[in-house]
Formats: sequence, C-alpha cells, structure tokens
Amino acid sequence: MTLGLPGHLARDSLSRALAHAGHCAAWVCLGIAVIIGVIGATSSGDPAGWTGAVLSAVMAVLLLLVARYPTVTLTLIYLVAGTGTVLAVTVLVMDPAYRFETTNNVILALPRVALILVGGAGAGSVLAITWAALGYGLGEAASFLGAALAGGVWSPNIAAAMAFGILVVVRTFDGVSRRSDSRRETGLHRASQQTRELAIRHDYELRATARLHDTALSHLVAIAAAGSGPVDERLRDGIRADLGLIVGRDWAADHGQGPDTDGAIGRAAGAAPTTISPVSDDDAPTLEQAFSTAANAGLDVRMTGDLAVLGLLGPARAAALDAAVAQCLINVARHAGVGEVELAIGFGSGDVTVAVMDSGVGFDEREVPEDRIGLRTSIRGRIEQEGGIVRLWSTKGVGTTVVLTVPEGGE
Amino acid sequence: MSRMRLTQQEADPIGGITAAPIVAIAAIFAFAVSIGLTVAHWHEVGSPLAAVLGIVLVGGAGLVAATSAAPSHAPFTVDRLWLVVALAVGAAIAEYVSTIGANRYLYDDFGSIVIGMLILAVAPYCTWVSLLLAGVLAAGVLSILVVGSAATTMTPAPIGTLIAVNSAAVLALSAAAAGYSYAIVDETLAWQREANRAALQRDAELRAGIARSVQQSQVSVLGREVLPFLAGVMTADRISVADADRARELAEALRRALKAGIESTWLDDLAATVRMSRGIPVVIHDPTGGAADLADDQRSALTALVSWLGEASRSAAIRVDVASEPPRRRIGIVTEHGASPPSRRELDRFAAVARAVSMGAEVDVTSENVSVELTHVAD
Repeated sequence: MTLGLPGHLARDSLSRALAHAGHCAAWVCLGIAVIIGVIGATSSGDPAGWTGAVLSAVMAVLLLLVARYPTVTLTLIYLVAGTGTVLAVTVLVMDPAYRFETTNNVILALPRVALILVGGAGAGSVLAITWAALGYGLGEAASFLGAALAGGVWSPNIAAAMAFGILVVVRTFDGVSRRSDSRRETGLHRASQQTRELAIRHDYELRATARLHDTALSHLVAIAAAGSGPVDERLRDGIRADLGLIVGRDWAADHGQGPDTDGAIGRAAGAAPTTISPVSDDDAPTLEQAFSTAANAGLDVRMTGDLAVLGLLGPARAAALDAAVAQCLINVARHAGVGEVELAIGFGSGDVTVAVMDSGVGFDEREVPEDRIGLRTSIRGRIEQEGGIVRLWSTKGVGTTVVLTVPEGGE
Repeated sequence: MSRMRLTQQEADPIGGITAAPIVAIAAIFAFAVSIGLTVAHWHEVGSPLAAVLGIVLVGGAGLVAATSAAPSHAPFTVDRLWLVVALAVGAAIAEYVSTIGANRYLYDDFGSIVIGMLILAVAPYCTWVSLLLAGVLAAGVLSILVVGSAATTMTPAPIGTLIAVNSAAVLALSAAAAGYSYAIVDETLAWQREANRAALQRDAELRAGIARSVQQSQVSVLGREVLPFLAGVMTADRISVADADRARELAEALRRALKAGIESTWLDDLAATVRMSRGIPVVIHDPTGGAADLADDQRSALTALVSWLGEASRSAAIRVDVASEPPRRRIGIVTEHGASPPSRRELDRFAAVARAVSMGAEVDVTSENVSVELTHVAD
C-alpha cells in the first residue's frame, strides 16, 4: 500500500475527479429537467414538456459520451447541441403563459448549468475553465437569442453564473494548491518505497541471522564442547562445507531449497555423516533436512501422519518448515537428554501442522537465557515469517512438545 | 478497503489536507450567499428574527465545516458531516419560517444552495455514500418545506415540479460531491494497485541487491574473527584448550551480536540511513521492538516524518522513543532545532497523515525543539 497519489499523477487524477463531479451534477440537473418536462406534459397536458424532456435527455446522453470519451470533437458536439437545447428551452419557457419575468429563472438554469459542467477534453485547470467559460458564454448567448425570439426579457441567469463561479474557484484552487508541491515535499511516496525496502532488508537480516546461527555458531559450540584433542574429521568436513556455503554464495537469499549442512551437533556427537541431496523442484517437499539432522544427531525418529501433506506448501515454505523442524530436533538432541523423538504431521483447516514431541527433561521457556536464539530465530522466526505460529508446551521432567503450524500455499 | 468506505483523506491524505482551505472559502461563500439572498427577498420576510437566525446557522455550519477540515483537527469524521448538514438544514427551516406565507419565489431561497455548497466543500473528507445520503435527506426536508410554500409562489406549477425545482441545487451539488469522492478514491486505489504491482516486480531486483549487502555485512562481522578461527581449526591437526576457550568466547560474542541483530527493527535501519545520509545523530530507543507492530502505512508515515525532519537542516539531532503502554503504543519523536527548524504548520501536515493511518498525533514546537507524539493501538 502506498499513501496517496504521487505528485506526477495528482494533476490528471484530480482533474478527472473534478470533471466527474461536474458531470454528476450536470446529470442531476438534466434529470430534474426531464422530470419537470414529463410532469408538465402529463399533469398539465403541455406538449412543450415533452420537447423539453427529450432535449434534456439527449444532452444527458451526449454528456455521457463526453465523460466516456473526452475528445475535443465530442466536447464541441456537446457544446453545440447544448446551446441548441438552451435556445429551444428558452423559447419554450419564455412563453408568457408560464409567467416567467426574465430568463433568470430556475428552469433555464438547469440546461445552462449542465452546459457549463461539460468537463471536456484534456486535463488541468486552465483547460477546464476554458471549456466551462465556453459553456457559460454559449448558454448566455442562446438564452439571449431565445428571449428575443420569444419576446421575453433577457437577464443573466444567476444560478448559471454561480455554477460557473464555483467551478472557477475550485479549479483555480486546485491549480494553485498543486503548485505548492506539498506532495513531493512530504515525500510519502518515497517513504513508502523506503519502508518496503527496509522491511525486505530486515527480513533478509533475519534469514541471514538464522543461517548464521545454524552454521558458524554450531561449529563454535562443537569445538568448545570437543575440548583438546585431534580434530574430528566430520567436524572438519562440516566446517569446510559451511565456510563454502557462507562465503561462496548468496546464502542470505537462499530460501532453504538447496542442501543444508546443518547438524554440527550431530557430527560432534559422533553420528555417521549423512549425504544430503537437494530437493529437486519436481519432487514433493519432504522433511529431508530434519531427518538428516536427526540421523546426524543419533536421534531415533518415530513419525505419524502423511508426509505428502507437505506438497500443499510452496517450496520455500516447506523448506522453512523443514529447517525449523530440524532446529527442534537439534534442540532435542542437545538438551532433552533422550535418544528418541516423535514427529506428527497433519493437515486441517488450511494449515499444515508438525508436532515434535520428546519425553526429555523439559524446560521452562521463561528460564531460557536471553542470548539463546535457536528457538526464537531458527524456529519462531522462520515459521512466523511464513505466516505460521509456533506453540510450545514443556514440563520439567515430563518432556516437550513443539507444534509448528503454517498455512498451506506460500512461495 | 472498498471505495464505499474510503474517503480521499484516508486514501490520499495529502490531497485531504490540501483541500482544507477550500472548505473555508466555501463556508464564507455560503455565508455571503445567505446574507445576499436574505437581503434580496427582505420584502418577503415576516420574521426578521428567524431570518437572522437562518444566517447565523449558515455561519455556524460553515464554521464547523472549516474548523473540522483544518489539518490540526484531522481526521474529519462522519459525525461532523451530519452536524454541518443539520445546521445548514436548520438554516433552511429558519429561512422558511422567516418568509412563511409570503414566499413568492423559490429561486431566491438560499436553503438548497447553501446546504449543497457545504456538502460539496467537505467532499474530500467523506465517503460518496454519506455525501449522497446527506444530499437526499436534506432534499427530503426541503421538499416538506416547499409543500408549505406552494400556495404562495408566483408561478403556477404542480407540486412535483416545485419539489424538483427546489431540490435541484442541493441534489446537483451533493451529486458533484459524491462523484468527486468516488472518482478520486477510485483513481487513488487504481494508482495504488499499479504501484504495488510495480513494487512487486521490482522486489526481485531489490531482494538480490539487499541479500548481497546483508550477506556482506554479516560476513564482515564473521570475517573479522570467526572465519579465520574456523578456517584455522579446519586446517589444524588438533584442537587445543585455548582453541576450545576461544571457540566458547566467539560463540558468546556471536550470540550477542546476533541477538542485537534480531532485536533491531526497521526503525533502526531507517535511523542508520538518515544518520549516514544527513550526518545528524538519530537515536532510537525501542527496548521492546514495538516499531515492528506498525502497519505498512503507519511505517510510511513515520518514515516520511523522520526523513523529512532529517533533511534540509531542519534538525540537529533526532530521538525516537517507542514505549508500550498497553493497549496503546506511544512513539515520541523529539528533535533539536537545526539551522532552519520546521514550522508547526508543516508538521501538522504529517500529523494529519498519521491520523489518516489510524494513529493519534500531537505536535509541539518550542523555541528549542520539536516534539511529535504518535500513538496507536497495536493489533
């Protein structure tokens, strides 16, 4: 969403909106003229009523064409036809039978106002005032001629003059106020673009942070945990692979579709190394990374549910879910003190849910030190970025259940 | 949001603010018309008190409209429209009472035109439906009045004709108001759809550039110490006790750095941008990361304000405090004056924009600093 019109579009947009406003008022005037004509023709049996109604209706239709196709030709046709209508209606209305003293009366004001509110071709205040001035001048001339033909008294129509005055004031104000350039000055459009960029940047920062946590940090922890001694070959391979991953490619942009060499804890724990193959685009998504992590960490995974429901997710969302489940499994391996974990996968109400349950030592989330970011970033961060939610229940001595829910679809 | 429920001041806040003076112009014009036409038909006036009351009510309606539309009183709410229309209709009734039994011409009555002009004037602040409804209801009241005047009018005409004639001005001007409101909101929404589409197309490009810069910045943090250390371990035969200790230290340092990264929000990024491009200190104090709760439009409004305050020597320093006072969140922006400090009038424009995106906004300008307080209810 952007806030409002940018400066370069404001002129044309405001011009069109003001023209539309004029057209609406003109149609109401012509509609009322039609109604008055019909009432006169039906209730008083006055045939002039039909003439007035038909002429006003024709004007309304022509104005519809001008509104739809604001060309110079159609504008001129409308002005000419409207002038003819004003002339004819003036001749009819100034008949002494109607007892109108001058042409300054409300019946004649209706087509006169509609003629002024032509809108017309082109955009901008000057052009709009020019068309309106033409409409006003032609209407007044037609009214003068009509009064002369009917033998009535001509007098400038105050209502038409007022309509013209309002139009000039509004259009002039519009033109002058746009010169102050408050739109550019306020910079809302620019700010909205900048906000979008900042949001994307922050999103990437979070992804990069999660990836950092999963790679470099876990190696450091593994080295610290290993203590002095020969370098474990699997640790060495892991570091090599991850350094290549961090330095050698756009890892922040990676949506997790490629192979992930996570699982340093597993390698440090001495599990057999596992070759992880990338998920091809043609394959339905699986929890490949999570299972690899579990294998590396020496966790025995018992799974219930159908993995095929992951096919309801877009590749990026499935990969985010996979990475988050993998981090849950790392947490189980690292903290729960058990060798087995249960995964339950399901689908309901448009959401794909994966529950990770262990019967380990459990913990109190409030007691998790502030600087431990695995749960916050690698799990919650990832899932929430995909519009999902993470719920966690843990009781000391009983175990932990983490339920990850993401909506179906996604990138 | 649909066109039926949107006003120009919401869809295009700057347009709404810019239109404020026209409301005052229209109010003055309406007042002048009421005086002029009352004088013109003074010979018909039987109750001067009612005639004067009619003019006073027009003045009151205009005053309410003009003050309500001022940026310092934004946003213009629908109840203000009804107050303006009620006062203007009251003026029409007073005018009717003033000439009761002696009204020879409907053409010189100001009721219809004054109500219509005031409805047209507030078009940027109301939905097209409410404007149309206001016009139709006012025309309904005028129609009841015209029945009372029918016996005394000069021109013999069926009552239907008199009702149509008398309602013409208010209906035409209300239609113009509704037409404007509908069209400008439609134009703005069409532009927003187009802009969003273009932004989505540009996103891929933007994402690639940002990803690279983020990667570089994070790698630079890592590169300083962690990468050489990991590379060293990778090529070494043994891990020493010192290596293990160093790994622990680096892990803690990295955790702290990552935590700081996680806890920063887009507002910190904005501050960094303003700081770097304008060279003025920008301090963000947002201990709970409350800036992340702001909606896109609210972020844009705050971004525009902070960027604007940072430009053209308006401020020497900017401080933004985000405080949580459930259920509200308070964002205080305080600046020290630069060489050319902003005026209250300029700041009111931003306050009105903030109000258009569901935030409370208060502006205070002293001889030393500018203080803008924005409040919003977090979802």
